Amino acid sequence: MDVALAEPIRTFIEISEIWVPEGDRLVQAGGNYGGYGEFAAASGRESFAKGEGLPGKAWQEARPVVLKQFDGSYFKRTEAARAAGLTSAVAIPVFAAETLKAVLVLLCSDDDVRTGAIEVWAETDGLLMLEDGYYGAARHFEWVSQHTHFPRGQGLPGGVWAANTPMLMRDLGSGYKFIRADSAGRAGLTTGLGLPVPVPGGRTYVLTLLSARGTPIARRFELWDARASRVGVNKEAVLADGICAREGPLWDEDNPKRIAAWQGHIGKVLGTGLPVVEQGGAGIGPGYDTVVALPIYHGDTIAHVVAWYC
Amino acid sequence: MKKLVVIGAGMASGRVLEHLFERDPDAFEVTLFNAEPRGNYNRIMLSPVLSGEKSYEEIVIHDDAWYAQHNVTCRFGEKVAAIDCARKVVIGENGEVPYDKLIIATGSAPFIIPVDGHDLPGVITYRDLEDTNAMIETAGKPGASAVVIGGGLLGLEAAAGLRLRGMDVTVVHLAGHLMERQLDESAGYLLRKDFERRGIDVLTSASTKAIVGNGRVEGIELQDGTTIRADLVVMAVGIRPAAQLAREAGIEVGRAIVVDAQMATSDKDVFAVGECVEFQGALFGLVAPLYDQAAVLAENLLGGEASFVPKELATKLKVTGVDLYSAGDFNQGDDREEIVLRDATAGVYRRLVLEDNRIVGAVLYGETADGPWFFDMIKSGADISDMRDTVIFGQAYQGGEPLDPMAAVAALPDEAEICGCNGVCKGKIVNVINDKGLTALDDVRAHTKASSSCGTCTGLVEQLMVLTLGDKYNPAAVQPMCGCTDLGHDDVRRLIVAKELKSIDAVMQELEWKTSCGCAKCRPALNYYLVCDWPDEYADDYQSRFINERVHANVQKDGTYSVVPRMWGGVTSSTELRAIADVVDKFDIPTVKCTGGQRIDMLGIKKEDLPAVWADLGKAGFVSGHAYAKGLRTVKTCVGTDWCRFGTQDSTGLGVRLEKFMWGSWTPAKVKLAVSGCPRNCAEATCKDVGVVCVDSGFEIHFAGAAGLEIKGTEVLCQVRTEDEALEYIVALTQMYREQARYLERIYKWAKRIGYDEVRRQIVDDPERRKAYFDRFVFSQKFAQVDPWSERVSGKDKHEFKPMATLSLEAAE
Repeated sequence: MDVALAEPIRTFIEISEIWVPEGDRLVQAGGNYGGYGEFAAASGRESFAKGEGLPGKAWQEARPVVLKQFDGSYFKRTEAARAAGLTSAVAIPVFAAETLKAVLVLLCSDDDVRTGAIEVWAETDGLLMLEDGYYGAARHFEWVSQHTHFPRGQGLPGGVWAANTPMLMRDLGSGYKFIRADSAGRAGLTTGLGLPVPVPGGRTYVLTLLSARGTPIARRFELWDARASRVGVNKEAVLADGICAREGPLWDEDNPKRIAAWQGHIGKVLGTGLPVVEQGGAGIGPGYDTVVALPIYHGDTIAHVVAWYC
Repeated sequence: MKKLVVIGAGMASGRVLEHLFERDPDAFEVTLFNAEPRGNYNRIMLSPVLSGEKSYEEIVIHDDAWYAQHNVTCRFGEKVAAIDCARKVVIGENGEVPYDKLIIATGSAPFIIPVDGHDLPGVITYRDLEDTNAMIETAGKPGASAVVIGGGLLGLEAAAGLRLRGMDVTVVHLAGHLMERQLDESAGYLLRKDFERRGIDVLTSASTKAIVGNGRVEGIELQDGTTIRADLVVMAVGIRPAAQLAREAGIEVGRAIVVDAQMATSDKDVFAVGECVEFQGALFGLVAPLYDQAAVLAENLLGGEASFVPKELATKLKVTGVDLYSAGDFNQGDDREEIVLRDATAGVYRRLVLEDNRIVGAVLYGETADGPWFFDMIKSGADISDMRDTVIFGQAYQGGEPLDPMAAVAALPDEAEICGCNGVCKGKIVNVINDKGLTALDDVRAHTKASSSCGTCTGLVEQLMVLTLGDKYNPAAVQPMCGCTDLGHDDVRRLIVAKELKSIDAVMQELEWKTSCGCAKCRPALNYYLVCDWPDEYADDYQSRFINERVHANVQKDGTYSVVPRMWGGVTSSTELRAIADVVDKFDIPTVKCTGGQRIDMLGIKKEDLPAVWADLGKAGFVSGHAYAKGLRTVKTCVGTDWCRFGTQDSTGLGVRLEKFMWGSWTPAKVKLAVSGCPRNCAEATCKDVGVVCVDSGFEIHFAGAAGLEIKGTEVLCQVRTEDEALEYIVALTQMYREQARYLERIYKWAKRIGYDEVRRQIVDDPERRKAYFDRFVFSQKFAQVDPWSERVSGKDKHEFKPMATLSLEAAE
């Protein structure tokens, strides 16, 4: 199995937080700040108007936004971030048709070993081109990615685009030998989660989270299918795919695990229509401390939920 | 402890062992042979491994620890050379193993089409992990391309996986649509569309002639001469049970190893399970019956009494993002009915096939949540009379109030988007209807643009009009084409162009046909519209034509046919007449008659003689007169200035020129022309679809005459000075008619409906438009002027001309 089995020393993403609209501002609605108490406190005092700060920019521009340098940027919590050693962030807006439901922000810190990738691919002239991405120490892979494009159906981004579903790839380093694979292999990237990011206006965005063994984005990934065409009209979801460093494969072709609204973290996403970021608690499962669960909408209904656990 | 030897560590035998160890772990001492150097893995999940969505480790069913735990002696990577039933030993490459009971589970081998080049390096089948890894390896070559031969389950999964791996992929499929054993044409269309959306080329009705390459595969050549470059050719055209070992051991083998309901072979101590068995004449390829067989065999090995009963099967395709479900028997039949639901926007197609109020087959595409529910009803044979009206909507809609689409529309908020193309919401439409007092759909289109582009929302807009206007709205103004659709001919024609629909399947899905395959009314019409609108891209569907157009002759009341060769402008020669006379004598044709269109009709020809008759006529230079066609029939002429004292122009010459320019074109209904050399009008041009009356100053062009069931004199289009102008105007007029008329609508009815002045406005007053019509006709003729008789002499549609016991007259014109 390509997902790291050993306990990671550090994860690629330091902080995950959720911002939801309240009136004309985005307010904090949860987050996993780990040991970054001061940054958490600063975040709790913050809110964002449309266009303001990183979450506000994702809202206004209705697209995922990658920010790789806080100093001198529109990022509002720069001092707290600097104090915490955070250097980069990605904001992912969650839209239900035209309506913003939330913005998920992932924050990372740089060092010489932390490797992974959070990429935003956007459709241009019939191809998916890299809009931006954060790669940590995987500099060569970053360069290769900047010079790569994906037609429909090819590679993880092209596959997500063609299928319009999230996908979980197992062997980034060995499979796509001419599409970034050598470089991915050298960077230790193994597991890739790709997901569509629907936004008003219909432009195609695909977000990919590429996980390395040493500093994984997560050690457990789950893809839940909540489309009525798959599960019927009830608010339910089936576990379409998943892999876990502790339990191995999570999928079962014949009897996929099914969950109803309000049942656990995934059920909470189905019930509220909002992302969930939780730390601690029995619901996360043994061996894991945090969970991020993100809804993906088709129109104004949840089609899928992707979740990752650390 | 008894000795059990198992040959083959596949999914079926693996399931047998699981049952045995669960029930009685000490019953057998097991030795397991496997030619592959590994144990049991989930072979049907190789496709996600190929695509990278699963790892091999994830699909292992029994690992080394499992075999060790159950004391299984594994002889993996060792082929079995023979079975000696008399001595009760299995002879492996590394020695013999005695048995008390033997299970043969050798599975199947992929079928390889024996075309030239099938053994070149780079040509592989898709069966096991080695094949999968070989594909992954080849996909690593930059710019590599693959051809997958076979558009069934396995081939399509391979194609999608290779595409994800970064290859350019072409699927070559012999049948007319993908997965033809599991899907009907409509679902096949959606599947093809999905694969094409992934960047995969799909060629159907394509037969492989050869695989080419110098030392390694470089491409394939199809029967039609097309060549496709390929670094990898995957053959996924079916499997063949691996029964050779059993056959050589003297065990009864038919198409596969013959077993009884207890899974016993002709040798009482030898059993077989899986793809290598034949039970009551049936073979098995899907996993569900194999697992049933495994349970039966385990029970019987432990002294029980279980019997295998084949069940209905359901099919799923393991390609991420493709949702299809197929179960039961979905073929049409006289005693069968169907219920069809389509949602073009969502890409949904559902079809249930009923027999005696019981579901016997289901095909679902796009929405598969109800698949297991339908499948259960197929298996149980449940009577669905009580829910017949709602069953197609699925399980969630049973037991409650019947669906009311109007209520759903009424409940939509004002900001709900109705027309996605033009961004028009419900509130705007309702407000415009109220403010402007609009009562017609066209008016709403004009004011809001809703429903004016792709037209998918037309139904919704009409429902809003009903909600807003009540009985003031009269939607009945549009006569549907037939019971298969609510759309009229004009809407269908408009949408075929607007949505670029280029096949009958595409029209039916995207315009939400209510039947799966259409009917005798809509199919010929659609076929014509598509031929007309996409002359270079649409492949004429001869199955959608009436019998006369299928056999290119006119069926008569006694079941024989009449044949009318073309005589350009009604002019013939002694050579032609002799050829006709020879044909009449040779084939003993009972009646020869002059037609009203100045041609010669040979009546009473047997169907099977038609190709030979045409061959002889063809040698004399004749082509089909299309006397059977919705197309250009005749151009009647008088002799004009060449011979007539009153002739003002060369009417014969113009007639011949017109006929040679326009023959072969398909039209909504038959088209007859005439050219008279002077106003005395000997060619009777003023009762034809299009007529020319020559005058001293030029040519008076007439149109919209009739002299059949109705009698009507023509309308004057205009007068022109030259023959060239006459040709241009007539051709443009014909093209306008081709593009705008409804199928089976003659020119005189069409022109009256749209207005004679409108025809003049477009053809006479608008030179640019006239030129455009002319150019489109000329383009279309490049594909239309093929003599159908000579095509059939060459063998096309030869099955149509085989003798039949009885002949139906119902489709005779």
